[in-house]
Formats: sequence, structure tokens, C-alpha cells
Amino acid sequence: MAASRQLLSGVRIADFSWIGAGSYTTKMLADLGAEVIKIESSVYPDLLRTSRPFKDGKPGVNRSGYFADRNATKRSITINMKEPRGRDIARALIAKSDIVCNNFAPGVMDRWGVGYADIVALKPDIVFISMSMQGASGPEKDYIGYGMTMTALTGLQFLTGLPDRVPAGTGTNYPDHIPNPCHAAFVLVAALIHRKRTGQGQFIDLAQTEPTLALLGPALLDAAVNGHTQTRSGNAHECFAPHGVYPCKGNDRWIAIGVETDAQWQALIEVLGAPEVLGQPRWRSPLGRLHERGQLDELIGASTRAWDSDQLMRALQARAVPCGAVRDAHDVLHRDEQLAHRKHWIRLEHPEMGETIYNSEAFRFSDALVGPLRAAPRLGEHTLDICTSLLGMPVEEVERLAQQGVLK
Amino acid sequence: MHSMSATPKPTPEDACPPAALDGVRVVELAGDFTPYFGKLYADLGAEVVVVEHPRGSRQRREAPFIDDQPGVETSLAFAYHNAGKKSVTLDIGTEAGRRLFHSLAVQADIVVESERPGALDQLGIGYAALAKVNTKLVLTSISAFGQDGPYAHYAYSDLTLLALGGLLYLGGYADTPPIRVYGNQAVYAASLFAAVASISAYYSVLSGAPGQHVDVSAQQCVTLALENSAQMLELEGTIRKRFGGEQRQAGTGVFATADGYIYLMAAGIASNRFWNNTVAWLIEERVPGAEALREPQWAEQDYLASAEAKQRFGEMFTPFAAAHSSEYLYQAGQRHRMPICPVCTPAQVLQNRQLLAREYFVQVPHAASGRTLTMPGAPYKLTQTPWRLRAGPPRLGEHTSEVLARLGVGADDLKALAGMGVV
Repeated sequence: MAASRQLLSGVRIADFSWIGAGSYTTKMLADLGAEVIKIESSVYPDLLRTSRPFKDGKPGVNRSGYFADRNATKRSITINMKEPRGRDIARALIAKSDIVCNNFAPGVMDRWGVGYADIVALKPDIVFISMSMQGASGPEKDYIGYGMTMTALTGLQFLTGLPDRVPAGTGTNYPDHIPNPCHAAFVLVAALIHRKRTGQGQFIDLAQTEPTLALLGPALLDAAVNGHTQTRSGNAHECFAPHGVYPCKGNDRWIAIGVETDAQWQALIEVLGAPEVLGQPRWRSPLGRLHERGQLDELIGASTRAWDSDQLMRALQARAVPCGAVRDAHDVLHRDEQLAHRKHWIRLEHPEMGETIYNSEAFRFSDALVGPLRAAPRLGEHTLDICTSLLGMPVEEVERLAQQGVLK
Repeated sequence: MHSMSATPKPTPEDACPPAALDGVRVVELAGDFTPYFGKLYADLGAEVVVVEHPRGSRQRREAPFIDDQPGVETSLAFAYHNAGKKSVTLDIGTEAGRRLFHSLAVQADIVVESERPGALDQLGIGYAALAKVNTKLVLTSISAFGQDGPYAHYAYSDLTLLALGGLLYLGGYADTPPIRVYGNQAVYAASLFAAVASISAYYSVLSGAPGQHVDVSAQQCVTLALENSAQMLELEGTIRKRFGGEQRQAGTGVFATADGYIYLMAAGIASNRFWNNTVAWLIEERVPGAEALREPQWAEQDYLASAEAKQRFGEMFTPFAAAHSSEYLYQAGQRHRMPICPVCTPAQVLQNRQLLAREYFVQVPHAASGRTLTMPGAPYKLTQTPWRLRAGPPRLGEHTSEVLARLGVGADDLKALAGMGVV
């Protein structure tokens, strides 16, 4: 793409966020062109800096791929927030920013003198978002947790898995990756629009459980309005069958198939070459298939086993049957033709990690550039530059403060 | 175009506070990926006109239904995602319908659609045609795989998108096929990323930049949820698998309680910052064997990941968890500053005291049934421009005459259009 315009250029974010949802939020805004300054501590670094996977399996604060992917394009300054002079520098940085972002427990930013009440006195039009687990108010506001425990608390864990087994969940810290960063990024840009129109900033309290609950609306309405408690149903669909994941040739290879219409069903049996087994007249109607879906799943699985998952996907797609090969990490990186066509994976050069892969964003613009444009910053990589160019501090002072452990 | 430069008048104390997206005009051509997109904008104050086929959008036929009775006005999925929007019926398969859609788009700030890639262009109402008359338009096309590429026209469902995006593989149990996350999450992911991209494009338009065509791939949105699994392969050569029902590392996972389940993360993520809290609590509870958790090896990530550590932790913790209620374990564990949460059912979520204290759930009038529906409310609390659900869900075509009147369509014209099946 030839465009060099970035949609959020000119927006500066003082980013205190770490680990999951907060870092993902500001990463998205950085990819859209905002200047994101990650305020870190080398005494207590972002836990993802010390999390696997590491380049070549060798630990190091600048070697984690987990950290790198969600901090690309940002700049990093190290400040010791326990030092009064450190807090002054952080406040000076915020005074030159449009947005402050953090995902600490309530009270942490206030204890450092950079809570909303402190900042609004200094910069009245600041847009300030706090993304604690359960919000800034309420009896359980100080409770701690991660994406996985939020998944449990919100009901998503309970609803995911098999009815006769322990709730399985997504296997990931799902709220960190979709519900929370997307809601946070959306509301931050909305608040910037309000500020552009009125000059007014504001405080945004995002409880990380609440956007996740917003994505469970129908289940919650079913409980509230009809008194139904939905439960786990594996891959089954309440209205259509077959709808499931079926084995393919090879070790742990699968294909997902969801048939909605009679025409798709007919096409499925023809492609699988099993008309004598699956061609029963009672299965030619949606209800007939739904009533005996367990039996259908077994018979379909017996046929799909002989197929390579990609070959079967292509054959079924040629007949417009909704299906998709189940992709593992190798597949999404190296086998999926569509992700390759979209250039989903990009490679960025990092001084310690060399060239490694990063997710791109899921959106493309007709006339704007979208990142990530630079690899993740090394811990404190931009401390000197930010202090001198942005805050106007003399080089000697920055060096002295670094030695004294203030900029550390 | 609505002017965005005017400063709103000061708000009297008794009036509604301003909304962040007051006056922003969004046209949503109802499709598979659009409903939550439109909701995000409507609840921050934009006027969202949802354009439905005269027979009603697909979501009107989506379960669950009020009292389990399917009908065009009874879908709870529709009610939740469309409350606060204006419903206009329009068949864009007709020439007159296309002209009206075109006129709506000309007056809009943002148009969102999730038709088959290229379909709007074929109808003469794609980005090229609309941008010619509305140079500031943000047109957002959300599709399963993006607007082009080898899979662009593949048939899909939420399940198949989770499969091709890679998230499905990580869900489920080691001894079963992969199992999907509940509730159309691939669809939500596409709506959400598209909403962020579109509002950013609109923000730049307010600063004088031209409009944009935004192209969003649901598959890529799912791939963004793979946590560190691509990097695990790239950097360490490991393929992450599914582990439902097992401890991910010692002390992290689901445990059965006397009345349900809890999720425990005894060590936290990528560190053992909470391990000592967990151990202190278990010792205080006089859990047999808890003293042994003080041994130095439990501070090591590699040991926590070992089968031996998982087994030892499980043998010690499982009987303790099984003897207590989820609520007891949640409150006691959190008092000791450890990440532990109950695995809640939807009914329990509705009674969650923290959510009730924050007035999370809202009561929404449902005109078609005369009922009041309880649904999730603000996903974020803003001090100046609060989230607000402006109205209940619209009846099919409830706002057709109101909205088309703005385009100069009078009552007689409307009758004629209805007779032709356009509206």
C-alpha cells in the first residue's frame, strides 16, 4: 500500500499498562498511528518480558515473543515510580499526552500520584482509562485475576466444553485478546472525538469482566427473561446438524463442518462418497438430522478420517458446504493460503531477537497505513530520547538520574 | 453531512449528559457481522439506522426467543444487539431500494456491511460509487476472510472461522476433538475490530482526512486471539495444544467444589508472585500437605510445569476444594490476595453482587411483547459521556417512514414502494 497516512497520528499515549488487555489495547492504537510511550520499570518489568517463548529458548527481558507481539511499535521508558523525581518525570510526560492507559488494580496509580484526580489538575482535557479486573467501584473492586479467571467469573468457561465434563474454556486468556482491548480502543477513540468537539477530557472505568459479559448477551437474556440456564454443548448447534469437528488423516488433524440447509447436506454426502450410509430419507430434513445428530457425527467422522483436512475443505467448499480445516500454530503460520494472501504475519527486525514474526491487524484501509511498523522496544530503549527530545531534559541529568536509579 | 465542529450547548443538570458520538450517522446494512458493531456506536450516541430486508434481518430468526416462541419480534439475540437502533426495511435487490440505500449512504458518516465480497459493487452501491458522492464516507466491509484472496468466497459459520483462525484448536480436552468457545465469538471479534478501525477512520475524517474503505477479515480477528501460540512455534518449536480439565501448570486450572467449580491461578501468569499467598492461605486452612508447598522447587517455572508438581498439587488441593462451596473459596482466596474465581452459570452472573453494585444490568422496554428485558449494560463507564441504551429494540421497519422522509420520500411514495415490495 502506497499510503503513508496513519489514522491516529498526532495522538500520544502515556501507557502504564502491562501483561494482557492493556498492552493489547495500546498496541492496536499504535498500529493505527498513535505514539505510545510504555512506562516500565526494570526493577519490576512487565511479566510478559520474562514469559516464554524466548528467542532460541534463552530467557531475557528483551527476548520474549509473548511480550514482543503485543508491544510492537511502542517506545519504552523506564521510570522508578517509587522515587518522587520519577513521578515528576511521569507527570511531565502525561502533561504532553492525550491519553493515559493502565490496567492495574484500583489505587495503584493514585499511590504513585498519577491517578485521575492528580492528572486532571495538571492536564484538564486528559482522557484517562483504568482497566482493572472488576472496576473502580463495588465490593469486589480489589479482587485480583487474569483473563482465565475472568472467563470463569463471566460464565464463558461454564458454557464452553462438554456437558458431562469439567468446563473447558478457550484454553487461553480470551478476555485479554478480544473483548477488552477492542472495547477499550473503541471507547478511547470515542472519547478523543468528544474531546475534539468540546475540549473536554474524561475518566473511563473499564472493568475487564464487563466487556466479556457484553459478548454473552443472548445467554444472559435467556436466563433473565426465560429462566433458562444454558449449559455446555460441545460443538453442537441448537438448530442445525451436523455441526461439529471431525477427524482427518494424520495425528490430531480435524475439520469443522456446519450444515444448515438440505442442499448442503446432499453435497456433503456426495463429496464424502457415502450415499448408501448417509442417504437415509429421514435425514433429508433439518429436524431429522437434528434428532439423530450423535449418530450422524459418528458416521461422518468414519468417512472424514480418510481425507486430508485441506483437501476435504476444498472439495466441500467447491460445493458451498460451510467448513474449515482446524488450524494449529504451524498451519496458521505456514499452511493457510488466505492468511498468507492477507500478509497476516509480518517479520520485523529486533536488535536482540533478530527478525521474528508479528501479527498484523485484521483490518486494511483503502488510503491509510496500518502497523505494526517497528519491533517491540527493548526495556528502556527510548528513555534518553524521550527525556531529552520530548521533556527537554539535559543529557547529563538523564544520565545522572539513570545512575541514581530514578530512570530505571 | 452533519457538522461536527459546533460546540454543544452547556447541559442543564436535569438533562441527559452529552454522548460521545452525538450526531454521528451510521447506516448498518444488517448482515452476519454487523449487529454488535452497530450496537457499540448506538450506545455511545450515534444514530444507527439498521437497514433490514422487508422480511427482516437474519438475526430476527436467531434463538433464544421470548418464551421460546420464534417470531420476527421475539428474538432475544435481535433485541440485545439492536436496541437503540432505528429499523428501516429496504430491499437492495430492487432498483428503487438501491437508490434509497445510496441516498442514505450519502448522508452517512459510517456505513457498515457484511455482504459477500464484491456484492455491493455489483449492485452499484460499493465504495467506489458511494465515495464519489460522499468523499468523507467511511465504508466498512466486514467479511469472513477479507474482500479478496483464495478463501474470499468460502462458505462459513462461526465454528469454521474459529477453526481456520486457529482458536478452535486450543479449546477442548486433550482426549476429544477441539471444542469451540461458546456464543459466536468469531462474529463478535469481527464486529469489534471493525468498530475500532472505523471509529479511527472517522476520527481522521474529523481532522480533514478523506474517507476510507475499511476491509476486515473475521478469520484474522480470530488469529489475534491465539495468545503466544504462533510465537511458541516460531521461537521454541512447540505447538500449543488443548488442555481443558487439566492443570495448565501446578495450581492453575478448574477444580470441582462442593457446589460447582472454581478457577484457580495459584502462581499467576509467568511468575510465582501469588504462590506464597496461596500457600499461606492453604496452611491457615490446615489443608493436609500444604506445608510442603513451601519447598523452594515450587518457585521454579519448570517444576510447576512438571507432571509431578501437578499431581502433588492436585492430590493436596482437590479434596479441600471439594469440601467447600465456590463462594467460600472465592471470598477466602481473594482475602488472601490470590487469583481465584468461581466458574459461574449465567443465572449466577445475574446475581453477582459486584455487578449489581455497579448497576451493570439494564432494564429495557420491549414494545412488541410489552415485557421489560434485563440485559448487559455499560461495558465501560465514562464520566462525561456515559454509555446509554437509548431505546428498546425497533419493530421491523418501525422507522422506515421517519428515515425515508428525510430523503424526501413522502407518504404516497412510501405506499407505492411498499406495493412494489421495496420497503
